[in-house]
Parts: sequence; structure tokens; C-alpha cells
Amino acid sequence: MKILTIASAKGGVGKTTVTENLAVALARQTGRTVLAVDLDPQNALALHLGLGPQELRGLSRASLSGQDWRDACFERQPGLYVLPFGAVTEYDLAALEAQIAARPRWLLDHLQALQLPDDALVLLDTPPGPSAYGRQALGIAQWVMVVMLADAASYATLPLMQRLVQTHCAPRPDFVDTFYLLNQVNSARQLSQDILRVLREAVGPRFAGSIHADEAVPESLALGMSVLDHGAHSQASHDILACAAFVAARMRAQAGAEV
Amino acid sequence: MATDHKTVADEIADRNPRSFEARWRMRVHRIADQSLWNHPLARVVAVVGAALLFALVVSVPLDLTGQLLFSAGSFGAALLLSRTPGRLTTLAMIVLSISASSRYMYWRVTDTVGFTNWVDACFGFGLLLAELYAFLVLLIGYFQTAWPLQRRPVPMPQDVDTWPSVDVFIPTYNEPLEVVKQTVFSAMQMDWPEDRLHVYVLDDGRREEFRDFCEELGVGYLTRDNNAHAKAGNINAALAVTGSDYVAIFDCDHIPTRSFLQICMGWFIRDPKLAMLQTPHHFFSPDPFEKNLDTFHVMPNEGELFYGIVQDGNDLWNAAFFCGSCAIIKRAPLLEVGGVAVETVTEDAHTALKLSRHGYNTAYLELPQAAGLATESLSAHVGQRIRWARGMAQICRVDNPLFGPGLKLGQRLCYFNAMLHFFYGLPRLVFLTAPLAYLFFSAHVFQATAAMITAYALPHLMHASITNSRIQGRFRYSFWNEVYESVLAWYIMRPVLVAFVNPKLGKFNVTAKGGVIEQSYFDWSIARPYLILLLLNLLGFAVGIWRMVAVGPSSEVFTTLVINMVWTAYNIILTSASLAVASETRQVRSTPRVTAALPAALRFADGKTLVCETDDFSQSGVGLRVPQGLKLETGSPVEVSLFRSDEEGTFPAQVTFSGNGRLGLRFGELSLHQQADLARLTFARADAWIGFWGNRQHDKPLTSLKSVMVIGMRGLGQVAANTLNILRGRREVVTK
Repeated sequence: MKILTIASAKGGVGKTTVTENLAVALARQTGRTVLAVDLDPQNALALHLGLGPQELRGLSRASLSGQDWRDACFERQPGLYVLPFGAVTEYDLAALEAQIAARPRWLLDHLQALQLPDDALVLLDTPPGPSAYGRQALGIAQWVMVVMLADAASYATLPLMQRLVQTHCAPRPDFVDTFYLLNQVNSARQLSQDILRVLREAVGPRFAGSIHADEAVPESLALGMSVLDHGAHSQASHDILACAAFVAARMRAQAGAEV
Repeated sequence: MATDHKTVADEIADRNPRSFEARWRMRVHRIADQSLWNHPLARVVAVVGAALLFALVVSVPLDLTGQLLFSAGSFGAALLLSRTPGRLTTLAMIVLSISASSRYMYWRVTDTVGFTNWVDACFGFGLLLAELYAFLVLLIGYFQTAWPLQRRPVPMPQDVDTWPSVDVFIPTYNEPLEVVKQTVFSAMQMDWPEDRLHVYVLDDGRREEFRDFCEELGVGYLTRDNNAHAKAGNINAALAVTGSDYVAIFDCDHIPTRSFLQICMGWFIRDPKLAMLQTPHHFFSPDPFEKNLDTFHVMPNEGELFYGIVQDGNDLWNAAFFCGSCAIIKRAPLLEVGGVAVETVTEDAHTALKLSRHGYNTAYLELPQAAGLATESLSAHVGQRIRWARGMAQICRVDNPLFGPGLKLGQRLCYFNAMLHFFYGLPRLVFLTAPLAYLFFSAHVFQATAAMITAYALPHLMHASITNSRIQGRFRYSFWNEVYESVLAWYIMRPVLVAFVNPKLGKFNVTAKGGVIEQSYFDWSIARPYLILLLLNLLGFAVGIWRMVAVGPSSEVFTTLVINMVWTAYNIILTSASLAVASETRQVRSTPRVTAALPAALRFADGKTLVCETDDFSQSGVGLRVPQGLKLETGSPVEVSLFRSDEEGTFPAQVTFSGNGRLGLRFGELSLHQQADLARLTFARADAWIGFWGNRQHDKPLTSLKSVMVIGMRGLGQVAANTLNILRGRREVVTK
């Protein structure tokens, strides 16, 4: 089981969209089992991966009731599974967070209990900024994908994210690397171009790519389809595939280095 | 990468090491690599032995049967050799060709000039002189092109701080800003340390518009208060007020790629005596020949032989010369020879000659690292060639490379041939009219029987043809050179002769580029000499038929008539093909498009996008390949992005055409910044032109002859269809 945590300092950068699309693309490109886990109480990933709003099951309820997480996993496409956060009341949420705070290995234990294949890939979608979920997700990740927007506010949060990674990931021997992804790039805007250039210079080979702002993305969500299918020729789809290929190549290189 | 001048046989040998071709090549190399050849005695014996044999082969008189057998053997050997790979084979074919031609010329001079009356003597000696000229050009041509150097780029040192400073000069006089802009954008974005790259526009037109443009971009703008010595004077004036170690010169319509300096400067670091490095002139728009004959990208054009083979061959002898643009010159040596030469109108070649005389090296790198607009109309093209021809004749008079200090024999011969080449006007016209002397006046220009002439002349011509086809096959197709020469012969003949007599006569003319030919027309004024030549040859042919009927097939005269009529028929083909060139085709776009598949993306008004690829691009728009179903309203706004690895440029555009999986876009108003981005992502791409260079089928002489004949027929048809227009006056619209 390899773990990629998707993180951002700010909300609204399209992190869930990125998780969904990377999961779909990686499942198709690598042929490996991919599990996308939603650790954000907003529970948006389920909708992105085509589950109806009436679906209440998820890891929150399973954890509280002591059930196996396996029962809350849904297979969306062959080899692609989603584990939603699930819908819970505010009271239950507080109880869950207390549980998590008491068990530093809460996330790892649950994931290991799933007994995924060795080469399975787990994508963890986290709430923005520092959080109990984020801490656990960062604490077990081999890779972290930092998602940003091409604007000044988002760029200003780069040091915060780097500090979080420094704290929770860098000291661990099994941690490999951080990637940076720029979302909703509009190449017609000079600012967008400038931030792209600055970020590329700042992070060098850790730059995982950029995804262009594209109406095909919200439209696909509304239609309950992946943008890779609905807008196969769109630039966003093209960019996502390129980013997934980047991630897959880095993982292959790492696997090669381990052997 | 530049082509390797490989023959078809070489390609087979490379592909399959077990093939006959590969084994042959290995065996030949083994013989050539014998250490025996390094022994001085062996060399002397070989040279003396070969010289004696050669003298024997050239001079032994044979009767008709003997000569026929001898030539059949020699030509058969050449044909077999032409199917084998390797440069040694090429040299062997050259030896056979020189033998056959020398034997012919020897026989011609010693055996065929016993003229009995002055008419025969006049025509006879005239033809002989023309033939001697052609023979000389053939010999020096072999010397020049036998072994192209094929220099490769030398990488620049790792330490960027050691890289020298470069001034980029873009001289302009009357060209529109739109044309010059691209060159400036690309020049300023060349990959070179920013503090050591200085771009200057040298405006002899002193135009406000240019000054403003340069100021806005932050590039240098230089003017002077007179226009003395045109481009050469312009550059010299700029040399006086600038100071970098090197000067890169681009005609204002030659757009450099961003890699130009990094590719070219390495040789200067390696060779401190190197004073000038030239790269090919590549054209992304068709020249008038290509446009009017519809041969663009199908056949090598007139200039390709020079940049593909001749310059590379010159380079072996350290005689590559400066061609005025797409080149780098080291400042110190240039100043040492007094700047760019102003004594002649081909200041470029003359400057290189002076550098060579001062003991500096020159180099040629056969990698297209810039591209430009070809001359757009036939009259402009002719004007440009007249200038070159006049300038070369001037150099021949004022600074003849055969004489004077500082040159090695190889350099003398290469420079001399560059000049001699432009004297082809008169000999070409002699060849185009020679058989008429017999057909009209019964002048015996050869004092020999028709059979003997054939037995001697045919091997000479055929050997030369297959040997040159092997050497030049990717850059010139057989017989096409004769079409090019025929078109220009009349026009360059007089200026060359005038300049040769008085080098001071004549003025510099600038050729306008980037225009639109509104309507197809027949350029009667240019075509006039060829119409007359065509009519004369047709008349000669008719007279020939009439005389054949009169004398009957058993007569000796009959065979002589046949030979002269075959020659006349060939001349009819050449002149009609020349006429086809004079029929100017309508040119729709003022900014020519370049075919290229570059990654692109579209953003529509509704925010959706489409990843696609370009078909072609120009300064003002792009053509895209899109999914079949896509149909957009003409005039609807889109944004188009072009990519180059990590870089992306986005440009507003309007749809001009949509359908059949194609989408045509015209760019909207672009800011200077956007225009510079566009240049970087299109014209300035390092690999923009390499795919177009020498990337053609190898010449097949017979196929080539056929294509010349087809063009000739087309020319005849156009003349016939436009007889009335031609009679009425010049530049008449072509009726289809």
C-alpha cells in the first residue's frame, strides 16, 4: 500500500476535484488498485465519484460504530474504490474527532485492516489547513501533493504547507517526496503565467504540472461523469493525465530505487 | 540534424550490415586504409602511374567502333559504381567522368575544328568556347563538391561566464515593420546571457515607426545620415558605434531560431583563427520558381544546391564564404580588413575573401538556424540574381582570387568557381541556339561525323549527369539546374559582362518581400527573350523536318539533322519550362504560412477547451487540426494556446474558417509582449526548420527529366493560351 496525501493550505482550490481525477487517471494508467479516501467532513468526494447525495455511509459512521471500513468502500470502476467520509451529525463529528485525537494510529490501523494489495495506491483527500485528519494523513504519507491556485493568496500559503510537511512527513524514513500542482490556471492572464513561472522555479523537479481552468470540469461534476470521459479532448483532461503520468513515473522510479 | 549526404546505396548499407552494399563498403575502406598508401614512394608511383594512364585514356585516338566500346565499358563501370555506397565510390565516379569529359574535350579541340569557311568557324569556335567554359566549371565543381566537410556544432563551454558578447545587426532599408518585427522578436529571445546579447536594428530608412518600436522593446536602434554603400555601409556605420566581440548579421526578413548563437558560437571558441561562420539561408515561403511551377517542398529549389553541397564543399578547403545573413563574424578580424567590403555589390563574398587573404579561417555549418521570406515575384528574383552576378564579376576584376596574396590553391579555386559560375549566361544562350546554326545555315560547327560526335559527346554528358546526380541528389534534381539557369541566362549575361569590363558601373537594388500578387498574370516583359528563343527553336525544328523530308533517310545529312533536332527538342523543353516560370501565380497570403504540427489548445467563449495540434502557422494566424465534428461560426472569438515544452503562450483570435477537421484562426490585436511570445513559440523554435532541410527523395535523373518535360508542356500551353495577351503587352492576367 502506497499513500499519496492531497493537501492544501486554503480551501476552494479544487483539491477534491484533483483527488477524484487523479484517482481515475492513475487507476487507468497504472492498472493498480486505487482507493480514494475522503478525510474531509464536507464529504464531497462521494459526489465527485458519482455516489448519490442520499448515500450516508462512510468512514465516519464506520469508525464510530466500530465497523470495518471495508463495508463503506464503493467500487466505482474496475480497480477504483472510493471511501467517503459519510454523513454525520455535529455531535457525532465531535466524538469522532475525540477518537482520532486519542489514537495517533487511527488512520493507519484502519487502512491496514483493509488488507489492500501491496501495490495498491491510496489517495487521501484532506480538509484545508492544519486539522486532526490532515495530521494523520500527512503522518503516514509516502508522497504529499500540495494543490494551489495561480493567485497571490494561494502562493503566500506555500511556506505554511512546507512547514506542515516538514513537521509530519520529513522526519519519517518512509516519506519520499512532496509534489506541487497548480490548479485552474488561466494562461491568458499574466498573473497566472507569472505565478506558474515562479512556482516552477521555486519547487523545480517537484512541480507536478498545472491544470487549466476549464468549464468541462464543473460540467462533468454536474453530469456525474469524469472529465476524462466527458471532456476527453479538453485541456483539463489532458493536464490531469499528464499529472497522473508524472506521479506514476515518480512512483515507479521509487519502486525501482527500493529494489 | 543536417543530412549526411548519403546515397541510396549508403542507406541500404547502414540498414543491413550483411548486404552487398555494406560488404562492398567495408572492402573498399580496407583497401583505402592500407598503410602502403602512407609510404611516400607508393604515393609518387601511384600519382605518376595514374597521370600516365590518364594521359593515355584522354589522348589515344580510336575509330568509331573502338570509341563506342570504350565508352560503353566506362559508362557501364560508372553505372555499377553508382549502385555502391561510400565516398570513395563517388571519387571513382568523378575520375571516370573527368576522363570521359577530358577525352571528349581533347578530341574536340584536336579533331573537330578544321573549319573551312568563316561561318563555320564563327559558330564553331563560339560553341567550343562555351563548351570549354562548361568543362572548366565541371572540373572545379567536382573539386569543390567531392568531399563536403559536414562540420558538426561544437558545444559551448559549461561556464556561461566565459561566453563572449554578441551584437546582433538587423539592417533594413525599406522593408515594412511587420516583416522586420519577427526578426527582432526572435533575435532578442536567443538563448544567450542577457548582458552579452545586444540587438540593433540598422535602419537606413530612418523611420519614426521603427524608432518607436525599438524603444518600446528596448533594443538598439541605429541610423546614419547617408545611405552610402547600402547594406555594407550600414553595417560599417554600426560597427563604429558598437563594441561586442562578435557580430551576428541577419537580413531583416531572416528570423533566427533561439538556439542560433549556442549552436554556432562553439566553433569560435574552439578555433581562435575562425573569423566567420555561415549557416544556410532557408526560406519558408516559395520562391517564384517554386510558386509558379508548384514545386515548393517537392523539389530542391535553386538555392539549396549552394547551401546543401557547395558551401559545405568549400568548407573543406577553408573557403566557405559569407552570404550576407544568418552568419557570425568576429569583430576584430572584420575591422582588420576594413569592415564589410564596399568595392563591390556582393560585399558579403568579398568580405570573406578579404578575411581569407588575411589568414583567417571561415566555416559553414549546414544546420538551418534561421529562415526567411523568399523573393516574391520573378522580376524581383531576377533582380537579386543580377546583383549577385554583377558583384561576382566585379570581384573577379578588382580582387581576383586566382591572384594576390594570402590564399591557398583550394581557396583560390573555390572562390574562382563562385565567380566563374555567374558567367553562365552567354554559354547557356550559346547552347540554347547552337543547333540552329546547322538547321538554318548548314554551318558545320563540328568537323566530324554525326556518329563520332555522338560517340564522344554522349559519354561526356551522361557521366557528368550521373556523377553530379550522386553528389547533389538531395539538393538538386537533374536538369532542373538548367531550367533555373535558362531563365536567368539572358538577364545576368549583360550585367556580368558590363561589370567585368567596368566594375564601377551598376547600382545596388533591394528586393521587396512579403507582398501579395493580386492576380495571376503572365510576366511578358520577363518572358520576352525566352519567347523569342522558343520561336527560333520551334522554327529550327520545323526547318529540320522539312530538310529531312528533302534529303531522305539514307543521306549522311539525315543523321546530322537528327542529332541537331534532338538537341533542339531539348532546348524547346528548357525554354518552355522557363516560360512556365514567367506565369505568375496568385499569392493569397501576405504572411506566408509554415507547415508544422505544434501542440496547441483552444479556449472557447463558454470557457471550455480543446487540446489540438497546428497544421501551419504564420505571423498573423494559425491553422488547427480539430475533431471532425467541430464547427464554429466565422468571426467567433476564441483563445488559442501554443506550447513548447514548459512554455505556453495564449493569444486572442477569431475564426476565419471552420470545417472538415480544420480550423483557421486569425490573431486579434496582440500586445508587443504577446507578439514576442508568439515569435518564440513559432518561428524561433530551435527545431523549426531542420525537418525541412535536405529531407527529400534522392534524385532520379530520368524521373527528373520527365518532370522538366511536363513543366515544359505546361509552359507551351500557357503561351498558346495567352498569345493574344502577350501580343497586347506586359503583365496580362492569365486566362485559365
